[in-house]
Amino acid sequence: MGNKKQKQKVVLPPELPPDVPEDEIEVSDEDLDFVNKNQEYAGFVSKLDTQSITRHINRVADVKEDALESLYEKRSRKKSLATDNTQLEVDPVDALPVKTLDGEVYYRKVSKAPNNFKNAQIEDETVGENDDIARDNGVVKLTKAEKRAKLKKLRKEAKKQGTPVTEVEEVQQTSQAEVLAEVEKDLSVEESNEKKKFRLAELGTSMLTDPEGNIKSLKEMLQLCKDGDPAISILGLKSLLAVFKDIIPGNRIRLPTDKELAMVVSKDVKKTRFYESTLLTVYKAYLQKLMGLEKVAGFKRVAIRCICTLLEANPRFNFRESLLGIVMKNISSTDDVIRKLCCNTIKSLFTNEGKHGGEVTVEAVQLIANLVKAHDCDLHPDSVEVFLSLSFDEDLRKPEAPKKLDNKTKKKNFKKGRKNDDAHQVPASDKKKNKQEMMSKTREEVKAEFMAASFAQDAMEKRRIQSDTLSAVFQTYFRILKHTMHSGKEGNESISGPFGEHPLLAPCLDGIGKFSHLIDLDFMADLMNYLRKLAGGTSDSNGGGITDSSHPSRLTVSERLRCCIVAFKVMRSNLDALNVDLQDFFIQLYNLILEYRPGRDQGEVLAEAMKIMLCDDRQHDMQRAAAFIKRLASFSLCFGAAESMAALVTLKHLLQKNVKCRDLLENDVGGGSLSGSIAKYQPYATDPSLSGAFATVLWELTLLSKHYHPTVSTMASGISTITNAHDQVYRANVSPQQAFMDMKVDQESFVPKSGQKSNKRKKGGKPAALEAADGGAVVDEEAVRVKLSEHFLLVNEMEENERMRRELERTKLGLQLYKEYKKQKKQKTK
Amino acid sequence: MRPLDEAETTQVFEKLFKFTGNNLKNLVDSPSHEGPDQNPGRYCFRLHKNRVYYVSESLVKRATNVKRENLVAMGTNIGKFTKSGKFHLTIQALNLLAANAKHKVWLKPTSEMSFLYGNDVVKGGLGRITDNINAYDGVVVFSMSDLPLGFGIAAKSTQDCRKMDPNGLVVIRQADTGEYLRNQDDL
Repeated sequence: MGNKKQKQKVVLPPELPPDVPEDEIEVSDEDLDFVNKNQEYAGFVSKLDTQSITRHINRVADVKEDALESLYEKRSRKKSLATDNTQLEVDPVDALPVKTLDGEVYYRKVSKAPNNFKNAQIEDETVGENDDIARDNGVVKLTKAEKRAKLKKLRKEAKKQGTPVTEVEEVQQTSQAEVLAEVEKDLSVEESNEKKKFRLAELGTSMLTDPEGNIKSLKEMLQLCKDGDPAISILGLKSLLAVFKDIIPGNRIRLPTDKELAMVVSKDVKKTRFYESTLLTVYKAYLQKLMGLEKVAGFKRVAIRCICTLLEANPRFNFRESLLGIVMKNISSTDDVIRKLCCNTIKSLFTNEGKHGGEVTVEAVQLIANLVKAHDCDLHPDSVEVFLSLSFDEDLRKPEAPKKLDNKTKKKNFKKGRKNDDAHQVPASDKKKNKQEMMSKTREEVKAEFMAASFAQDAMEKRRIQSDTLSAVFQTYFRILKHTMHSGKEGNESISGPFGEHPLLAPCLDGIGKFSHLIDLDFMADLMNYLRKLAGGTSDSNGGGITDSSHPSRLTVSERLRCCIVAFKVMRSNLDALNVDLQDFFIQLYNLILEYRPGRDQGEVLAEAMKIMLCDDRQHDMQRAAAFIKRLASFSLCFGAAESMAALVTLKHLLQKNVKCRDLLENDVGGGSLSGSIAKYQPYATDPSLSGAFATVLWELTLLSKHYHPTVSTMASGISTITNAHDQVYRANVSPQQAFMDMKVDQESFVPKSGQKSNKRKKGGKPAALEAADGGAVVDEEAVRVKLSEHFLLVNEMEENERMRRELERTKLGLQLYKEYKKQKKQKTK
Repeated sequence: MRPLDEAETTQVFEKLFKFTGNNLKNLVDSPSHEGPDQNPGRYCFRLHKNRVYYVSESLVKRATNVKRENLVAMGTNIGKFTKSGKFHLTIQALNLLAANAKHKVWLKPTSEMSFLYGNDVVKGGLGRITDNINAYDGVVVFSMSDLPLGFGIAAKSTQDCRKMDPNGLVVIRQADTGEYLRNQDDL
């Protein structure tokens, strides 16, 4: 194929100089002449692969720049989908004549007919695939449709040029005629469908080649969409989509008013008006069709895909509100495919704000806000997660100032000069004044025009849009938070929709964490209050966290941890000026560590909380630090290697920061009990500063140094060697999160060996001994297995025995009781 | 020496509650670790010569052996009733408050001295502050190395503190450890 392309490139330039006249017919005449003269070349042309031919034709026909651009886009797209193309183009039938070519026409004639059939087959394939669009990528789909369109285009071109064309084209035509004749002979439904498909493709390509001239064929395409056969109408929808995507202009079309219509206009203007109005009406009808189909089960995905693509491609065009409305309606769909489509569309709208100047962003965000309100926060998390791809200017308030400054600096000299002049010219004549006014007026006009013409947005406008967006976003976030609170307060009444308990909370918290630097300081207090309450679970104060953890509508541990994290992020991002101690959140974390369950909760979140709250915070109470150290040590005893590693890293960090807490490592009885006011360690205290952790020692570390996982054990023994004596400046450069992830990956591959201990002890020693130890371990394992199985059997038997005995006794007792009962009965009857 | 009557108890507890919040419970419930008794009693409040003492029960029993005029003090003096019948916490209560404080303020090293001379705390001298303080809550003042220095009343809530200028008052002083030197006679 590459070979062919190269050939074509060599041949083409003399054939088609770049300044070919616009008219197609002229070109084809040239072609004709040329081809007639050079039969050999003509033969060569016929067997060119379709792609290159299309390219060739396009280059000739579409001198317009837009069309060219779109062509280039298509080409690059096609390249990325080379696999698909190869399947289409390098099929053996197509390739056959190429190889055997000696200029013989006959040979090709025969091979052409099957070739056509082949094309038909391929189309069948595509139709078949269209039926289950869902599984396929949208881009692939589109290009396939285009591909087909191009195939047809070639044939159409041939038709247009009439019969007196080259032999080759005649051959093509005759072959097609044959096929058509065959089709008409059969006249089965399938064949008529084929015809419709051809028709669609023809119309589509003609539209693409000359949108202004062939605007009417849009209507026909729309008619085809209404076909009874779903496959055909889907095809129609898709080809219309492809056409619209290319021909819709980047701006909004305003239909002329009656007054304007009444005016006499030139031919060109009339033509444009006709074109625009037709485009608009067909587009409208198309959208209505899509909206209608959107409710039909079988068409839903296709319709949504079309709508999404249209919105994404031309966010400035007419009717984008209704498009947006439909996308919003489906953003929380239960169908994964549809939801993903909608979300991706919205995301791309948010990220490519330059395409539409931000207006659509505001609309979309406000729509989402309304949606959340309407559905009472019971949506899929994806629908709020899209906010995360929003981007705001760093200094929303500031842009005004620098701009003014710029103006000032620029015009400083001017102004100075002029002011002076003004001062001098106060008593100047009216004439001069008038002149000046005129000058300033014209200047303003020019400025306004320039502003209108330039694409650069007004800073004020941009600010307004951004602040609108922001307020809608935060409105949504606060609504979600509030809703979560209230649903929690209602207690037993657990309203769990199809998306789980509090579906929107997680993305909402993420969003607040991301945009926290944009929140007004006045809201901050409320926000922190909400977060505090959420983190504290529904039952606040007196730390009832442990007692009613089985409460149905309370937040999960990970969600509460997230609340703590977000609070710290918010605090850090904008309240850094005043060093505020978030006591309550520490208390929450202290208790949440106890409630953590490895399977149920996300360890990553816990690790993040440890990192943000304990490692990054600059200062701690001694009491609190000690309490956390103690609790983390106990925590790392009871959970898996990953969790305990994260805890140990945090613990080490805390110990290094707080010199006083190293008293915990001393082995005295009662630890450093003197430094604390509480004499006895209370492991179940809910407040870290009241737990009296100074009264205890970190005996957990000794146990941990015998941990089955070598990394944990080395870490633990490393920590226990930190002493008061040498004040190490060394800082752990591993964050708990990192440690957690590392260990988690490690854990999957790690198999605790029975020979672990001997391994560890000989780590510094000789590898030979190590191997021996390993070997011993294997043998040991065998023996142990045998012994264990024996033991289990024995225990099993004993248990069985006991059970049987118990049963026997019970039955005996029953019998006895029954006897007594009978006796009594007898006595009574007597 | 006598137990507090009802009005006095409420006065004392209200004052303490301002500083300790729910931790007041700890103050009353915590077992005493004074005295040789096998069963550690609780702490209780006793009034003696207009002063309120926080004493362990075992100590109270022993103190009954001493004549009233001869008994100078027992346990921890936490405050006194003024002539007009109001209750004031004194600096001796600091340890008790610091251990159970709900609201804390940490001072920068530079402003510690000023506070110990009896001045109020301004925002500029603030090293750290607990979240969620409301105006007129009781706060305990610490040095940056967690040494309790005194206590006072918050003049502003934490939120308002953010917007204040550095010379604004944050904590109105009630007692500081400097009093041990300044008012030796009174104490």
